[in-house]
Amino acid sequence: MAATSTTNPPPPAGDASGRSLRQLVLGRKDVQDLSDNEQELPPDLMTVNMGPSHPAMHGTVRIVLTVDGERIVAGDVQPGYLHRCFEKESEYATYTQVFPYTDRLNYVSPMINNCGWAMVVEKLMGLTGHIPKRAEYVRVIVSEMSRMTDHLTCIGASAMELGAFTPFLYFLKAREWLYELLEKVSGARLTHSYVRIGGVVKDLPPDFDAELALCLDQIVKIMVEVEGMLNNNKIFRDRMAGIGAMTKADAIATGCVGPIARAAGVDYDVRKDYPYSVYPELEFDVPVGTTGDCYDRYLVRIEELKQCIRILRQCLKQIPEGPMMVDDPRVALPAKPATYNTIESMIRHFKHIMDGIKVPAGEAYAFVEGGNGELGFYVVADGTGRPYKAYVRSPSFVHLSTAAQLIHGHLIADVVPIFGMINMIGGECDK
Amino acid sequence: MTDAATSATATPAPAAAPPPDPVTLTIDGMPVTVKKGTNVLEAARTLGIDISAFCYHPGLPVVAQCRQCLVSVEKNPKLQPSCQQTCGEGMVVRTTDAQSTLARQQQLEFTLLNHPIDCPICDKAGECTLQKLYFEHDNHDSRVDVPKVHKAKVVDLGPTIVLDQERCILCSRCIRACDEVAGEHQLEFAHRGDHQVLTTAPGAQLDNPYSLNTVDVCPVGALTAKDFRFTMRAWELEATPSVCNGCATGCNIEIHHKHGRAWRLVPRHNPDVNKYWMCDEGRVTYHQLREHRLATPVVDGLPAGWDRAIRAAADHLAPVLAAAPQQVGVVLSAEHTNEDNFVLGKLAKAWGATGIYVAGKPAEPARADGRLRVADVNPNTSGVTLIAAALGLTARPVGELAAEVRSLVLLGAELPGVDPGRLRELDVIAISAYERGPVTTAKVALPAAAWAEASGTVTNVQHHVQRMHAAFAPPGQALPAWEAMVRLAQATSIGTGGSGTAGKLSFAHAREVFKDMTQTVAAWSALTWAREARPLALRFAGSRG
Repeated sequence: MAATSTTNPPPPAGDASGRSLRQLVLGRKDVQDLSDNEQELPPDLMTVNMGPSHPAMHGTVRIVLTVDGERIVAGDVQPGYLHRCFEKESEYATYTQVFPYTDRLNYVSPMINNCGWAMVVEKLMGLTGHIPKRAEYVRVIVSEMSRMTDHLTCIGASAMELGAFTPFLYFLKAREWLYELLEKVSGARLTHSYVRIGGVVKDLPPDFDAELALCLDQIVKIMVEVEGMLNNNKIFRDRMAGIGAMTKADAIATGCVGPIARAAGVDYDVRKDYPYSVYPELEFDVPVGTTGDCYDRYLVRIEELKQCIRILRQCLKQIPEGPMMVDDPRVALPAKPATYNTIESMIRHFKHIMDGIKVPAGEAYAFVEGGNGELGFYVVADGTGRPYKAYVRSPSFVHLSTAAQLIHGHLIADVVPIFGMINMIGGECDK
Repeated sequence: MTDAATSATATPAPAAAPPPDPVTLTIDGMPVTVKKGTNVLEAARTLGIDISAFCYHPGLPVVAQCRQCLVSVEKNPKLQPSCQQTCGEGMVVRTTDAQSTLARQQQLEFTLLNHPIDCPICDKAGECTLQKLYFEHDNHDSRVDVPKVHKAKVVDLGPTIVLDQERCILCSRCIRACDEVAGEHQLEFAHRGDHQVLTTAPGAQLDNPYSLNTVDVCPVGALTAKDFRFTMRAWELEATPSVCNGCATGCNIEIHHKHGRAWRLVPRHNPDVNKYWMCDEGRVTYHQLREHRLATPVVDGLPAGWDRAIRAAADHLAPVLAAAPQQVGVVLSAEHTNEDNFVLGKLAKAWGATGIYVAGKPAEPARADGRLRVADVNPNTSGVTLIAAALGLTARPVGELAAEVRSLVLLGAELPGVDPGRLRELDVIAISAYERGPVTTAKVALPAAAWAEASGTVTNVQHHVQRMHAAFAPPGQALPAWEAMVRLAQATSIGTGGSGTAGKLSFAHAREVFKDMTQTVAAWSALTWAREARPLALRFAGSRG
């Protein structure tokens, strides 16, 4: 961060130094108007804090901006205000007890985090590919619903921050329908903890198919309206197009993933490139942008919403009947009647809950396509019921590290759409 | 004999150096060399293969009763109990083949046949060998569709133990533990088949002084200690290694604690001292940690802060030390650690005090039984003697208190043999964990950490210097006793003429005291201070059975 001092307050109009009105208003002359006399140069650069608590900053993050007038010459992005300690906490919880912690990573799409964690433990236990088909479909359904809530929030909030309040209300209402459905599925509106190692905790509620189909139809209608309001909106495009652009090479070099990388032309989606679960059985396209600016990021997210709807409709058609949990005593809790009436099941239940699922020693990395891109979990197991070490490759953390570069040279007001489209989620970033 | 201040769980790994008279065999394809006479089960353990077993205990005779440790031995048509099978040269053992795996599963199914569904109310849950072995070796559903055989749930076996006959899996470890550890055959099986039960002889009780070892060796929750049952769930506890302060034997123990208090003491294996055992009396000494504790400094019977108390003590001692040092008596304590006594000894030397005494609880000759219990009920008698000698101090029993002594600097709460009338005439500066005896009438009483609350070493009757780790914080404002004496040294250095000797009494950690002490006491020069032990959460330690 550059050494700075604050500007002096502008002198009263018509002061003795003979400065022009233009100088007084703008703070400094245009470059071509500057004389050779250094005495005329205005004072140094100014430092302003944006955040940690700022209405347009998603999550609690602080940016120390060094500005030359309105223009940003340097931005020092400082995350870490949430003190999440996800990775350390995981070392003190059984593998199953980590699920509630993953809910709070990217808390706008918790189901995907749940699935990621389940997958890494299943990989360690050799269960990958043995999860019942219905459970896999349910995981995809709730994941795609979560991806929709993620994108709806991101677009809605960003539009609102640029002054478009109606899309915000529309999209948040649509998100609420999805949240209500997820609440029916899991029992919790936001912190689902619905996925388990070896499957999911329970089956979908009755009438879920019809309700989801209805919900998707309504969201399609809403999206038509919102797209009509935003896509060719002069103000929206002026604020988004050409702002915060990133080249394809930069996106790859900085490790960007998800909608940000795809907007820059990187055709990478974990669901296509490293297919997991039942994604190979589903048809969908991966949208890729060209310019890598905020407007392309917006368009990529809008298109992904449409693809989510497409995936969900296929899932509703294809989902088979069957169990929700793999039939493996190492991970599956016994049925309640057996637990209460036989000593064998009682012991197994006790061991699962108190000691945790026994994961053989080893290490594994498993990754899913999260709302913001590749969300990976790396776990070192030591043969006990809790992780020896857990690590999360959280896309928000990587994306936030590019923020300083993206806002460089833009106006202060541009921080808002750039940051909105980076879609940093504090809980995931401050892992 | 080399002493182990490190004293963690230092059983040397037999695989490291080829033992004398070696035998080489193959277990699960891995060659292993062990001492002749070792059984297959122990040989497998050196390879990290934990063959499941209920009745086998390394400290007890082998009976091969539970049939849980059956393994395949090549050229042998039937499965062999690995606890009883002695290793032979060139023997090929398999523990994971279909035959022995099935045998383990079926044996567990038999064992669970009539086992009650008690885990939620059982004290052993969480550290139960049956739970552990079922989860690791069987994990199949029940196939039983007939009612279980019921037996007596609450059998009062004696003053310390309650038996649940339903939970008993008839491994006979407790019977052998009584035979081996206490030398008294007090338990036996009665009846046959699924009516077989553990019992005492009619009218007799399980009342030997080592009876609670049966609770430790019980692989299930059949035998529970009256002292511990229904007080705390085992998996909630944390374990810190320490040494029992109940007598001069210094049995190695684990303090199982939670929320800043001890809930039970269990023996820790040390082949030189206590093997796997400890006595019942030692097990309940943790109760004293919460009785009559001195938690705040006291001056003339009223609570005071540390600064005021130290100043009061120094103001009292300084003029006496300057005028007539022979009037000050310094009492070392056989109940306190080497570190505490070393600092006090150094301080006495710096003061120039000549009356050095040793106090401790009076001996109980009836206690000595030639096993673990000895007559001396102080944990550190030999340590105090060595330290006093190394410092060049002549320490006498406190009962021989010289007539000219007017002020007494007392470590601990014991003054055996001092006449109460004489005690009233003395000005006592006490540094003690407990508010009892002479501490209640002391002019200044400084609160000290008790044995479970401070890091330090004690020297047992065999002259082993054994390390204790602080399990939890001392109550109130209490500090480790050596720290209180360091403060006293600083406060009295002016009174002693500022010779600078007291300046050497500045320590920041028990480790520094220990280092200084090992340089002073020649016999301990090779000892090193082990790393502080972090409490082990029993929940994640695996069921240790």
